[in-house]
Amino acid sequence: MWILAAAGAAGVAATYLADGPQRFLADWLLWFVFMVCVALGALFLVALQHITGATWSVPLRRAPEFIATLTPWLAPVGLIALFALPVLFSWTQPGASSSTPLVLKAAWLNYPFFMIRLVLCLALWVLSYNILIKGSIGQDTSRNASVTVRLRRFSPVFMVILALTLTNFAFDWVSSLEAAWYSDMFGVYLFAGAATSALAATLLAVIYLRRRGRLPGITADHLYNLGGLLFGFTIFWGYIAFSQYLLQWYANLPEEVFWFQQRTSGAMAPVFILLGIGHFFVPFFALMSRNDKKNWKRLRWVSVWVLFMEFVDVFWLISPVLGKGVHFGWPELAFAAFFLAGGLLVITRGMREQQNVPVGDPFLPAGLEFHLR
Amino acid sequence: MSESVFGTLALFPSADALIEAIPKVRKEGFDRLEAFTPYPVHGLDDALGLPKSRLGVLVFIMAAIAAIGAFAFEWWTGTVSYPLLTAGKAYNGWQAWVPVMLEGTILFGTFTAGLAMLFVFNKLPYFGNPVLHSKAIDEITRDRFALMVAPDHGRLDTDAAAAALRAAGGEAVEMLPVPHYAKAGFRWWARTAAAIAVACVVAGLGTAWAIRTFPTTRPMIEMESQPRLDAEAADSFFPNGRGMQRPPRGTVPRAYVPILATNAAQAGQALIDPLPATARVLERGRRMFNIHCAVCHDRLGTGKAWLDSTYEAQPADLQSATMREASDGMLYRVMSEGYGTMPAYAADISQDDRWAIVRYIRALQRSQNAPARDLTAARPAAGAAHSSQRER
Repeated sequence: MWILAAAGAAGVAATYLADGPQRFLADWLLWFVFMVCVALGALFLVALQHITGATWSVPLRRAPEFIATLTPWLAPVGLIALFALPVLFSWTQPGASSSTPLVLKAAWLNYPFFMIRLVLCLALWVLSYNILIKGSIGQDTSRNASVTVRLRRFSPVFMVILALTLTNFAFDWVSSLEAAWYSDMFGVYLFAGAATSALAATLLAVIYLRRRGRLPGITADHLYNLGGLLFGFTIFWGYIAFSQYLLQWYANLPEEVFWFQQRTSGAMAPVFILLGIGHFFVPFFALMSRNDKKNWKRLRWVSVWVLFMEFVDVFWLISPVLGKGVHFGWPELAFAAFFLAGGLLVITRGMREQQNVPVGDPFLPAGLEFHLR
Repeated sequence: MSESVFGTLALFPSADALIEAIPKVRKEGFDRLEAFTPYPVHGLDDALGLPKSRLGVLVFIMAAIAAIGAFAFEWWTGTVSYPLLTAGKAYNGWQAWVPVMLEGTILFGTFTAGLAMLFVFNKLPYFGNPVLHSKAIDEITRDRFALMVAPDHGRLDTDAAAAALRAAGGEAVEMLPVPHYAKAGFRWWARTAAAIAVACVVAGLGTAWAIRTFPTTRPMIEMESQPRLDAEAADSFFPNGRGMQRPPRGTVPRAYVPILATNAAQAGQALIDPLPATARVLERGRRMFNIHCAVCHDRLGTGKAWLDSTYEAQPADLQSATMREASDGMLYRVMSEGYGTMPAYAADISQDDRWAIVRYIRALQRSQNAPARDLTAARPAAGAAHSSQRER
């Protein structure tokens, strides 16, 4: 894994030297967005369990918690992504202030306010991570049941934080690449992708840990619930994605529709079709039947596929700023190797060093006894 | 030991005893088992070996039929049967059909799930499950757990079943006959159909009576009920019985000049621009031209329609030599009466506005075909104006 990360890092550096800052920064931004989606989606799953008081998911809560350990790493990645501002974002370009929509948005889209928002988002995310994940891991040794109460009280607050910061993040870091465009539901769109990808990553982590025998007591019924959530969020993503597309297609307003035109015609058309089929129809039909949601092997390939589709989704959102055509080649593979290997190193470190089951949670026995029927 | 047996039932003291008993009874060759418990028991479904429900398959088939049917219906009506352009979209605008497909899929799926569950798999109408009339029912709803051996293909050896249940630890074994009222016979169906028919007739007559008897409250009828006569309405005021009268022969509207020219040559002579040469007229012409004409003739009058991808007619190029040489009256006449595909605009644009448009077309033609001498003539004049202002 270290070797893969090192090779990826070399490829990343080579991208900067060979293709220049534009390609490098676009890929870096892509992976920043992808990381934010997976990390915040994992935090969302943890908070969702606390907020609903679900007991079935207690034994496998460590999986999203380990994935959420990516959160502190968002800070350095995000600070490097800031260099993309003057290069890729349309509102920073000279002459941008002369176009009407950008004049109206100038109060929001300017360097100082943008930086303040980024720092605020990162601070809130790391703070939430410290409370939710560190608190849960600390419970392993303290065995203090009041920690669970505190986490359950904090989770609704985190949901508000998540809604505001993720919407803001979507508008700032993806929408404002082409600042003239706007879509009110874009934040929800990114959230839908975040929830599906985090669920897929959680499933992979659960399957990985269980194969190593480190998740005793996890049955097909637990897996069925996770598969059902993935199935549900797949439908949610499809609904949101299509709603956004349909409304703008129907209204056909020039200030909205150009964004979809770039992404649905020309060389991007196959990517768009792949996204629609791959991100919705494939997992939808693959997870439809009850037995499929209990099938380890099927869940594994569906999860890998969903994560790949989330990458395609973010690629589809961001790479058109580089101009016409599909910008995919060895630099993208190098970035993927670097970030995937790095992310796995971070996540597996938690798996090695911490308890793989929240042994201090008073609801653990209830969760282990979970049966569907 | 015949078709009138509903099942043989035995009671067990606990859920664990029930679950342990099930494999023993199944080993004796009785596979059609039913369990009755006071609360849901984990593991019961697996122990009974219930097959996977076929409801999901049925729902999937119906939902797929709805999705494909909705798509086919909208595609055929909107593209094949009566091609209709809506909001400038292409003919096969599948994006607009997805909401209907989605709603149809959900509708068919949920209705299939609900109705098939009730009428196909739970075999409604089935009156009074015999277990409700068993001796054991009091205890089943309190603290005991019952297991029943049901007939397989209508056949059940009740003695063997009772022995198997007792051997597995069952108590209070009883045989449940099928009561005569349990199944819906012809009389039930006839009575149900008659009841539905009577209900329809009563409801229909009642509604009709209510509509006639009670005044219906109509909100916001100010526009509808005015003291006026509607078009083609009858009225007794005039002797011919019509509400609206034909205008007397030869009547013209106010500020209306009839077009007397019947061909292009006459039009040039007979129709003469009555408007004064002011900037206001030109401005009015520009406004009306951009509203009514520019969609097809372009803002510069080049005849390049904005709708060119879907609009098949070729609008006239107002900058062409023919159009530049055409008389004012001829342009006015075409606007009033239409030409080729172009419809008549007499009803939409007032006479003065039509003349103002002619004026503006002339200005457009001049702007696109300005002779060089315009420039040389304009320059000293502009300079002179400036200098004269300075002198003042």
